[in-house]
Amino acid sequence: MSALRMPRVASVQFKPFKAKGWGRITFLVVTSVLMLVPMYLLITSAFKSQQDILQHPFSLAPDQLTTEYLRKAATNPDFNILKGYAVTILFVVSVNVLSVALAGPVSYVIARRSERRYRMLLLLFVAGTFIPSQVLVIPVVYTLKFLGLMGTIPGFVLFETTLTLPFSIFLYAGYILTIPASLDEAAAVDGAGKHRVFWSIVFPLMKPAVVTMVILNTFSVWNDFVNPQIILGPGSGLYTVTTGVYAAVSQYSTDYTVVFPTLLLAVAPLLVVFVLLQRHVISGLTAGATKG
Amino acid sequence: MRARLTTLSMVGPALVLFVVMLVVPVCLSLYLSLTDWDGYSANPAFVGLKNYVSLTHSAEAIRAGWVTLLIAAVGTVLLSVFGLGFALLVNGASRLNAFFRIVLFYPHVLSALVVGFLWSAVLGTSGVVNGWLTSKGAEVLPFLSDPTWALASLIAVLVWAGFGVNVVLYLAGLQTVSKDLLEAARIDGASKRQTFFNVTLPALAPVVTVNLVLSLVTLLKTYDLVVSLTGGGPAGSTQTAAYLILWDSFHNNALGFGSAQSVVLMVITAGLALTVARLRARADRGVQA
Amino acid sequence: MARSIRRSPGRNPRRTPGLLTAVVILAAAAGCGGGFSDDKGAAGDSTGEVRMLVNITPNLTKSYWEGLVKPFEDANPGVDVKIEAPTGSGVKDTLPQLLAAGNAPDVVETLMADKVLAPQMLDLTDQAWTKDTPLVEQASLDGKVYTVGVGQQAQSLVFYNKDAFAKAGISAPPKDLDELTAAMGKLKAAGYLPLQTAGDYVTGLQLLQLSNPSIATKYPDWYQQISSKQAKVGETMQPLLERYESWIKNGYVDKNALGLKDVGAQTNFLSGKAGMYIMGSWFVRTADDAKPTFDLGVFAAPTEKGQPSPGPQGVTMAAPYMVLKSTKQRDLSVKLVQWLVTDKTAVQSQLAQDGNFRKGYTDKLSPLGKQVQDILDQAPKHVAQGEGYGANTLPQGFNGEWNKAVQSLYTGKSAKDVATRIDSWMGSKS
Repeated sequence: MSALRMPRVASVQFKPFKAKGWGRITFLVVTSVLMLVPMYLLITSAFKSQQDILQHPFSLAPDQLTTEYLRKAATNPDFNILKGYAVTILFVVSVNVLSVALAGPVSYVIARRSERRYRMLLLLFVAGTFIPSQVLVIPVVYTLKFLGLMGTIPGFVLFETTLTLPFSIFLYAGYILTIPASLDEAAAVDGAGKHRVFWSIVFPLMKPAVVTMVILNTFSVWNDFVNPQIILGPGSGLYTVTTGVYAAVSQYSTDYTVVFPTLLLAVAPLLVVFVLLQRHVISGLTAGATKG
Repeated sequence: MRARLTTLSMVGPALVLFVVMLVVPVCLSLYLSLTDWDGYSANPAFVGLKNYVSLTHSAEAIRAGWVTLLIAAVGTVLLSVFGLGFALLVNGASRLNAFFRIVLFYPHVLSALVVGFLWSAVLGTSGVVNGWLTSKGAEVLPFLSDPTWALASLIAVLVWAGFGVNVVLYLAGLQTVSKDLLEAARIDGASKRQTFFNVTLPALAPVVTVNLVLSLVTLLKTYDLVVSLTGGGPAGSTQTAAYLILWDSFHNNALGFGSAQSVVLMVITAGLALTVARLRARADRGVQA
Repeated sequence: MARSIRRSPGRNPRRTPGLLTAVVILAAAAGCGGGFSDDKGAAGDSTGEVRMLVNITPNLTKSYWEGLVKPFEDANPGVDVKIEAPTGSGVKDTLPQLLAAGNAPDVVETLMADKVLAPQMLDLTDQAWTKDTPLVEQASLDGKVYTVGVGQQAQSLVFYNKDAFAKAGISAPPKDLDELTAAMGKLKAAGYLPLQTAGDYVTGLQLLQLSNPSIATKYPDWYQQISSKQAKVGETMQPLLERYESWIKNGYVDKNALGLKDVGAQTNFLSGKAGMYIMGSWFVRTADDAKPTFDLGVFAAPTEKGQPSPGPQGVTMAAPYMVLKSTKQRDLSVKLVQWLVTDKTAVQSQLAQDGNFRKGYTDKLSPLGKQVQDILDQAPKHVAQGEGYGANTLPQGFNGEWNKAVQSLYTGKSAKDVATRIDSWMGSKS
C-alpha cells in the first residue's frame, strides 16, 4: 500500500456493512445523540439559571431562557474572549509557519540521505514524542529564562514549535520518501541549490502532509493548557482561550451560570469554523496520512 | 564542503531548537532527579539515587503508575476498536455519513480542559444527570465519587473525546485497501467476515500500528482531563503519573522527587511505544509471510 | 500511514554526534547557569510598580483586590499596584514557577513562612508596626517575623440549621462529640442530611477543623510531640477517624459527597437540605449573602466527652502577606503591606469581604459574625491547624495528603488504614 498514489475518490468504495441498512443508521443516530448531549447541555444551559440547569437540564421552556448570564460572561473583566482569541490565533499562525519552515528541510535531508547518522537523527526527533511536556515545566522555565525568553511570545512560540517537530518530521520524512527522487535530481542538474529544490519542487508535492500537520498543530496549540499557563505566567498579561477559560471557571466550577456561558463563548467560534470547514479538516487530516 | 554547509543549514535550525528546548530540559530533569530540590533553595543537595529508591516505596506513586497504565491500555484498545468500528460504519461519501463524521469528530476540537469541565458539570453528584435523577426520585449515581466509577468515567470521557480522530485515521486507511483485492474476494465468494479479516485488516496493519502507538503515547501523558474532571479524586484514586508529578513537585515541594518520577515516566513511555511498534512490525511481517 | 523508514547503515557516523555533543554541552551549561540564583533585592524608588500575587476565590475576586488597593495608589501618586492571579492551581504552585522564571512578584498573599519559604522572604522583625498585627508572634519563625496578616479566621466552627434542630427535637447545640453523633441520628430521623461534607479539599479540612478542640485538649503540645516523634498524627487522630467512619456507615454524611465541590456543598446546606456544615469563619460571608430561608446558627466544634467545653479554637491568620527578598521595590512593598494590615478602611474591607475577625473591628459584624466573634472570645486558647505556622508546623503537603487519606474512608478504607497511610507519609517526610 505504500507508494500507491491514492486516487482522489469521492465515490463510495468500500462498504462491508451497507447491507445492514437501517440497523446501521439507527445505531449511528443513537451514537450521535450520545455524542451531542453534552453539546446540547452546554448550549441550552448557557441560557438558564442554576436551579433550572439542575432541575430541568433538558427542558427548553422559553420562560426559563435568558441571555443575562451570557452577557455577564462576555463582559468578564478577567477574561476578555476577543483578546484570548487574538492571542491564540497569533500563536497558532506563528507556530505553524515556523514548524513547516524548520521541519520541512530537515525531513527532506533525512528522507534523501541514506547514511546511518540521518537515521539516528530521525530517531532522536521521534523520541521527542515520548516526552510529556507538562512534567518538564521547571527545566523548560530555566532554559527559557537563560535565553531571556521566559514570559515572552517568542519564547512560547519557540517552545510550542519544538513540540510539533517530532511528529512533523516523522510524517514529512515518510511522505517525501514517496516522492520520486528523480524529480529533484533533474532540478539539481539544472543547477538549482538544495534549498531551491526543496522549496520549489518537493515542498509543493508534500502539501497533503503539510495540511495534515497544520490541522493537528492548530488543535494542539489551541488546546494546550499547561505550557501557555506556565510559560506566559501571570506577569505577561497574556492568555490563550484555554488558559483564560481555566482562570475564569476554575474558582467557580459549581456556579454553572458562570461555567456554561464562559465555556460556550470559548468553544463556539472554533466549533463554527470547524463545521464550516469540516470537509477540508477531515479530508486534510487524512490526506497526508494515507501515503508513505 | 559547500554541500555540507547546505545540509547543515537545512538540519541545523530544527536540531538546535529541539536540543535547546527539549533535550536540555530532559537533561536538567535528570540532574534534578538526583537532588533533594524543594523548588526554592539556592543550592539543592545531591542525593544520588535516593529519589528513585523512595519511588519504589511510594504506594501512591506506584498506584498512579498502575492507574496510568490502565487508562493507557484500556483507552488504547477502546479508541482503536471504536475508531475502526465506526470508520467501517461511516465510510462512504453520502451526506449522512459526512454528518456522522462531524459528530464523531467534534469533541477533538474542544480542549481536554473544556471537555473535563463540561463532563464534571454533567456527571458530578449535584450535576445535570444526578440533578435530573433526583428530581425523578431516583438514587444518585456515583460517577465521580466512587473510585471505580470515577476511573471508568475518566476513561469513558477520554474515549468520547478522542475516538473521532481514530475514526478519521482509519477512514483514511480504508481508502488505501486495494479495490482489486476486494473485488477478487467478492468474485471468489468470500463472506463479508472473511473479506474483512483476510483482505481489509491486513491492509490496514500500518494504520493500526500508528494508531496504537499514538493513542498509547497520548494516554500515558493524561493530565488536563484529570485536573478538570476529577481533580485526581476521590481519595487520589484517579491520579495519573503526570498529575502526581506536578502535585508532588509543587504541593509537596518535592521537585527532586517529582523529577525522578518524570524520568521514569519518560522511560516507560518510550519503552512501551517501541515495544508496541516492534510487536506490530512482527505481526505485519507474519501476515505478509 | 507512514511506513517506517529503513535505510542501509551508513559509513560515516562521526560528525553529527560530535556536533550534537557540543550543542548539548553548550545548551546544558546555558540551562543550569541560569538557575538557583539568590537575589538580594533593592530599596527601590518611591514610585513605580509593585506586583502582588494574591489568592482568588469566589469572595476575593480580582476586581475586589484591585478596588482594595485603589486608595493606596491614590494616596501615593506614581505608584501602581499590579494584582496578579495565580496561573497554576493556586498561589502555592505559582510562586515557585515565578521564582524559577526570575519573575517573582514583590508581595505574596496567602502563604505563610516556613523553613522552605523563609529564606526567600524579607525579614520584617524590625518593623515596629508589625507588633500589633494579629497572630504575628505565633506565625514568627525562630523569633523572626516574615508574615503579617489582617485578622483571624476561626476554623473550628459548626454552622447549623436551627429550624432542622428544632424539628429533630434537639434543644441545645451539642457540647461533646457523643452529643454531636446523637444529634446526627435525630436529624436523620427528621429527614435531613445530618452533616454536609464534600470532596475537593473540603473533606480533610472539615475533619481537621473538627479535631482542633479535642486534640489540643488531649495533647496541649501536639505539634511538638509530632515533630519529636512522641506521638503520631494517625494514632492521635484515630478516634476521630473512627467516628467519621461510623458517620459514613450510618448515613449521617452523604456517601456520594466526594462528587461535590465546596460551592455545591454550601448550596446544599444553604438550601436547607442538611443539618450542619463544618467550615471556617469565611463561610459567614457566603451565608450572609445567601440569606437562607431558615434560621442559621453556629457553635464551636465539640470536644471529647469529659473534656471542658468550649475547647481550644483552631485559628489561622487571615490574608497573610509576605514581601519577597528579591524585590526591587522593597520600601514601597513594605509600605503597601503595612497599609494593607494597619489602615483602618483596608482592614475593615478585607475582614468583611472574607469573614475574618480582629480585635477592635467588631462593630460592623452581622449577627452570625457576632456569634463567631463570641466563640473566638470564649475559647480558652487559640491553636494552629494542619500544616500550621511558626513553631507549630507539619511538613509541606500534609493538608493535601490528609485530605486524600480522609477521602479514602468513603471509598471503603477503615480508620486504621487511614491512620497508617498518613503516618507512613509523615515517615517518608522526615
